[in-house]
Amino acid sequence: MLKKLLQDRVYSLGITIALICLVASILFPANFPTFENVSQVMLNLSIDTIVAVGMMLLLISGAFDLSVGSVVAFSGGLAANLMYFHNLPVPLAILAGLSSAILIGWVNGYLIAYQGVNPMIQTLAMMGIVRGGALLVAGAGIQNLPYWYNAIGQSKLLGIQMPVWYMLLIVAILSFLVNKTVFFRRYYYIGGNEKAAHLSGIRVKQMKLYGFILSAALAGIAGILLSSRLGAAMSTLGRGMELRVITAVILGGASLSGGVGKIPGALLGAMFMGIIANIMVIARVSGLWQDIILGIILIFAVWLDLFVQKRSLHQNFFRPIWKKESSKELGKAELVE
Amino acid sequence: MKRLSTVLYTTCLTGLLVACELPPRQHSGEKQTADIIRTSASTEVDPNEEYVMVTTAINMPMYVNHDQAAFKKWGAARGVKVSVLGPAEWDVPAQIETIEQVIATRPAGLLINGTDPGITQAINKAVAAGIPTVVYDSDIPGSRRHAFLGTDWYQIGQMQGEEMVKLIGGKGKIAYMGILGLTNMEQGFQGLLDVIKKYPEIEVVGKFDDKANVETAAKLTSDLLAAHPDLSGICGFDSNSGPGMALAVKEAGKAGKVKITTVDWEPEHLQLVQEGVIQMLAGQKRELFTWYGAQFLFDMVHSTNKLSANDAQIGITNIPHTINTGLIKITKENVGQFLKR
Amino acid sequence: MMYLQLKGISKYFPGVKALEDIHMALQKGEVHAICGENGAGKSTLMNILTGNLQPDAGELLLNTQKIHLSGPMQAAKMGIAIVYQQLSLVDTLSVAENIFANSQPRNRWGFIQYSQLYEKTNQLLSRLGLHDLQAQTLVVDLSPGQKQMVEIAKALSKDPTILILDEPTASITERETQVLFTLIRQLKQEGKTIIYISHRMQEIFQIADRVTVLKDGKYQGTYQTSQVSVTELIRMMVGRNVVVEKYASSATSEQVLEVKNLSGKRFRNISFTLHAGEILGLAGLVGAGRTEIAQTIFGYLPRSSGEILVKGKPLTVSHPEEAIAAGIGYIPEERKSQGLFLEKSIVDNILAAKLTTAIEHGWYNPDKATNLAIMYKDKLRIVAPDVHQPTVYLSGGNQQKAVIAKWLMADPDVLLVDEPTHGIDVGAKAEIYALLRKLAEQGKAILLISSELPEILGLADRILVIREGKISGELMGQKATEEEIMALAAI
Repeated sequence: MLKKLLQDRVYSLGITIALICLVASILFPANFPTFENVSQVMLNLSIDTIVAVGMMLLLISGAFDLSVGSVVAFSGGLAANLMYFHNLPVPLAILAGLSSAILIGWVNGYLIAYQGVNPMIQTLAMMGIVRGGALLVAGAGIQNLPYWYNAIGQSKLLGIQMPVWYMLLIVAILSFLVNKTVFFRRYYYIGGNEKAAHLSGIRVKQMKLYGFILSAALAGIAGILLSSRLGAAMSTLGRGMELRVITAVILGGASLSGGVGKIPGALLGAMFMGIIANIMVIARVSGLWQDIILGIILIFAVWLDLFVQKRSLHQNFFRPIWKKESSKELGKAELVE
Repeated sequence: MKRLSTVLYTTCLTGLLVACELPPRQHSGEKQTADIIRTSASTEVDPNEEYVMVTTAINMPMYVNHDQAAFKKWGAARGVKVSVLGPAEWDVPAQIETIEQVIATRPAGLLINGTDPGITQAINKAVAAGIPTVVYDSDIPGSRRHAFLGTDWYQIGQMQGEEMVKLIGGKGKIAYMGILGLTNMEQGFQGLLDVIKKYPEIEVVGKFDDKANVETAAKLTSDLLAAHPDLSGICGFDSNSGPGMALAVKEAGKAGKVKITTVDWEPEHLQLVQEGVIQMLAGQKRELFTWYGAQFLFDMVHSTNKLSANDAQIGITNIPHTINTGLIKITKENVGQFLKR
Repeated sequence: MMYLQLKGISKYFPGVKALEDIHMALQKGEVHAICGENGAGKSTLMNILTGNLQPDAGELLLNTQKIHLSGPMQAAKMGIAIVYQQLSLVDTLSVAENIFANSQPRNRWGFIQYSQLYEKTNQLLSRLGLHDLQAQTLVVDLSPGQKQMVEIAKALSKDPTILILDEPTASITERETQVLFTLIRQLKQEGKTIIYISHRMQEIFQIADRVTVLKDGKYQGTYQTSQVSVTELIRMMVGRNVVVEKYASSATSEQVLEVKNLSGKRFRNISFTLHAGEILGLAGLVGAGRTEIAQTIFGYLPRSSGEILVKGKPLTVSHPEEAIAAGIGYIPEERKSQGLFLEKSIVDNILAAKLTTAIEHGWYNPDKATNLAIMYKDKLRIVAPDVHQPTVYLSGGNQQKAVIAKWLMADPDVLLVDEPTHGIDVGAKAEIYALLRKLAEQGKAILLISSELPEILGLADRILVIREGKISGELMGQKATEEEIMALAAI
C-alpha cells in the first residue's frame, strides 16, 4: 500500500515536502513555522503555480511552452499601460491583458498543431517576440496603478493575500475538470500516444490548440496578478520563469514525453522549490550557493524518485505472473467451453 | 433542504467577503500611521544583531567588490552579523520575494538595493513590520523607506553628456547604450539627452540595449561603426557597456578617434582609460552606499542621535532622509591614483 | 557434433521461475527452432545466450569448453549473434551505416572511410545473395522485409557461428519469407548454427531440422521436425489442441458498408460491399495497399476520389471521429504504436474511443470507467491482475484484446481489423478468432486484413485479393485455397 502511494508522485512529493518542513521547523523554530513565513512562501509560489498548472496540462499532452514567462510580463504590462497612459477602466484593461495572452496562445497553438512548426522553436521565438512586446508596453516600468487594480492582488482573506486563494481555486478547478471531464482526459491520450489517439477518434490538433491557449491564458492571469500584487508592471517580470515552471511540473510528476501528470503535482512541484528557496533565505545561504544547492537537491529528488520507480518497475517487469496465469486460465476457459 | 443549503452558501460567501481585507489606500505625502520601529533598548552591540542586504544579480563583480565588500567590512568593524541575500540573476521579482521572506525572519535592519520601483510594496511591507529600512544606489521615491543613499542617475547622464560635448567639440554623431527598461538607466538617458539637445549640431543616431552583456555591447558597437563610419562618440550606462564598446572600437582601429564615456570604474575600465580608449568614467561611490547605509540602520536601531524621548513611538526618523554620495570623474589625468588603489 | 550445450540452465526473478533446468544441445550446421507461447521463457533463454542475463544455475558449454557470457559484446566475441524481433535499425541512416554501426572502417586518423564502408557492405550483401539492397539506400525507404534482411546482414557482419533469429517473419510477406529461408539454408550450408524462434508452425516445419518446445519456463523436449506433427507440437506448447477450423458463415444480405471506386494513397478504384454478419477478408502482400484502404475508409488518410456509403448514406470523413460517429471502428496493424496507450491503464485504453460512456450525471466518473473496464476484461478474458495495470506489461494477446475491447465499447456496425493476430501466441490467436466470429454472428460487418493465409481462409466468408493497390480477384472463403490467393496476390 505504502509502496503504491510512493509510486504516485503527488504522494511521494507530498511526503517529501512534509519531511522538509518538519526538519526546517526543528532547525529554525522561530523563523520557519510561523504564519507570516508560510503565508509569504505560499504567496511567492502562487504566481508560478498558476503558470505551472497550464504547463502541466501541456506536458500531459506531450507539449510545452517556453513563452509563458514573457506572456506574464506582457499581459500585466499591457493592462498597466492601458490604465496608466490611456485611462482605460480596470476591468477593460484586465480583459485586454487576458485577450492578448489568449491571442499569443492561439498563434502558438495554430502554428504548432496545424502548421507543424517545431514547438521548441515556435515557443522560443514567441518568448523573444513577446518579451520585446513587454518592453514596448511596460518600458521602464509602470507604477502607481489604480487602487482597484492593486486591490486584486493585495487584498487579504483570512490574513492570506489573494493570489494564494486564486492559485488554490485554479488548482482545484483544473484538478476537478481534468479528472471529471472527457474533454480534459483526452490530453492524457494525446500525450500517451498521439497516433493511437488520432485513430481513436480524438481531434488531436484541435485539442493541442486549446492546450496552448489555456496555458497562455493562465500565464496571462498570472501576469495580471503579479503586476497587481507588486503594484507595478515591469518588462523583466517572469524572466526565467519558463524553466522554473517546467522544472516544478516535472518534479510534480509530469514527463517530457507526455501522458502522465496530475494537476496538484504542479502545486507540489512549485511548493518544493519555493520551500527550499525559503529555507535558504532563512538560513542566510549566499546567493552564490543557492543555485548550486537547488540544482543538487533537484537532481537528488529526481534520482530518488527514479530509484523508487525503477525498483517497482523492475519487479513488475520481471514478474510476469499474469502471463503464467494466462496460459493456465486459458486452459481452464477451454475446458469450460 | 435546498433552501437551507442556499442560506448556508450565502452566509459562507458573505462571511468570506467580509473577511476579505482590502489593501490600505496610498496617500501622497506623510504616512497616516506611525509604524513602531523595533529598536534596541541598550546602546550596546548585541553580536546576534543581524543586518541583511538584499540585492539582485548578487554575483555581479561590481556589487561583490564594492557594495558587498564594504558592507561586510562594516559588519566586522561593528561586530554584528551581516548577510547578503538575493537571486544570482537580474531578477527583480525574485529580489522582492527575498525581501518579503527576510521580513518574516525579523532582522535588525534591511539594506535594499533600489533596483526597480516595482519593489515599493516590499519596502513598505518591511517598514510596516517595524524594520529599519534603507535603500541604496537608486531611490524608490514612492516608498516609505527610512533613508536613501545613492547617486542621481540623471546626473550621471548629464556628466557624460557634458564631457561628450567637450570631447567631440559640440558636433557630430553619437549613440548610447545600456539596459533598456530599467528606471535608473532611463533617467540617465534623459540626463544625457537633456544636455545634448542644447547642441543642434550633435545628432543622436540611436539608443541600444546591450543587455548588460560585453559581447552584445561589442557587437552593437561594431555594427554602429559600420553603419556610421563618422561616428564621433558613444556613451555607456551599465557596467559592461564600457568594455564592450572599447573592444569594438579597438578592433576597428578607431581607439581615441571615437570618444567613449561610460559608467563604473572596475579595474578593466580603469585600464581602458589608461590606454586612452575610454575618455571618461562617471564613477559612483558605491562603498559609501553600503557602509553609511548600514551605519544609518545601526544608528536607527540604537537611537544614536535621539531627537525626542522616544523617536520610534512618535514615528520620527532619526537618520538622514536622502543622501547623494556624488560622482567621481575619472579621466586620463587622475586614473593613476585609482589604479594604485 | 554437439556445438553449444546448455546444461541445467535456470533463471529466477523475484517471485517467478523464468527458466527451470533447461537442457539443450545445438549441432553445427543445423536450424534449430524454439517454440512456446509468449511467456514460456524464450526471451529469457535468448537473453542468457547473448549474455544480457546470467543464469542462476547451470552452465553453458561451447565446443565442450565451459563459457561465461558477461554481455552481448562477449557473446559476439564467442561468435553468437542475435537478430531481434523489434527492429534495431536507425531509419535516417544508410544500410551500410546500420550494418557497420559503431564498427565503420576508419583511416589512421580515426575518420570514417565511406568508400570502404560501402564496398564492404556491398560485398557482404552480395555474398548473402541480397542483390536488391544497396549500401547507400536509406533504411527509411526499405520495406519491412528488406529491413529484416539488413538486420540479419548486420548480425552476420561480425561473422558469427551461431545466429539467433527472433520472430524474423513477424512483419514480412510470404515472398520475403521465402527469400529469408533461402538465406538461412545458405548459412546452414556454410556450417553456421541457426536458432529460429517463431510462433508460426508452418515455418518451423519448412525450415527447421529440430525443434525444442518450452512451456512455462520448462523444457518439454527436442524433436526432429520430420518425426513430429503440428498438432503434437501445439499440444506440447499449450497443453491442448488448437486448430484454425472453418466456421459457418453468418453473413446476411443487409448491406452495411459500400465502397465505390475509392482511390487514395497507394490504391485505386476499389469497390466492394460488406454485409451485416459477414467477414470479408482482404488478402495480399505486405505493402499492397490494404492498410491504406482501411485507414482511408476510417478517415485517417485522405481519399482522392470515390464514395463510401454506410447503410446507404454517403459518408464524407476527414477525421476518424466522423467515422466513429458513423459506426466504423478500426483495429490498427501496429498494435503498440497505433492501437495502444502503452503507459496507460487497461481502463484508459478500453475507454479511449468512447470516453463519453463513462460519464455519469454530466461528469466523467472513474468508478464507472473501472466497472466498464472490468466488464470487458471479463468478457474478453483479458488476463491481468488489475485493470489499472499499464498495458505495456500485458502479453501481446492480452494487449490485442484490450484494443478490441476499446472498439466493442464504441459499438460500431463496421469493424475494420488489420492483422489482428500479429505477434500473438497460439492460444490467444484462437480466442481472437472466436471473438471475431462471434461479433459477426451478432451482426457486425467485419473487414479482415491478414497476411496469414490460414487465418484468412479460416475466418473470411469472402476474400478480396489486393495487388499493387487494385483488386485482383475475389474468392469464396469456403472454397479458396492458399495457392489461389498467392497466385492472385503475387505478380
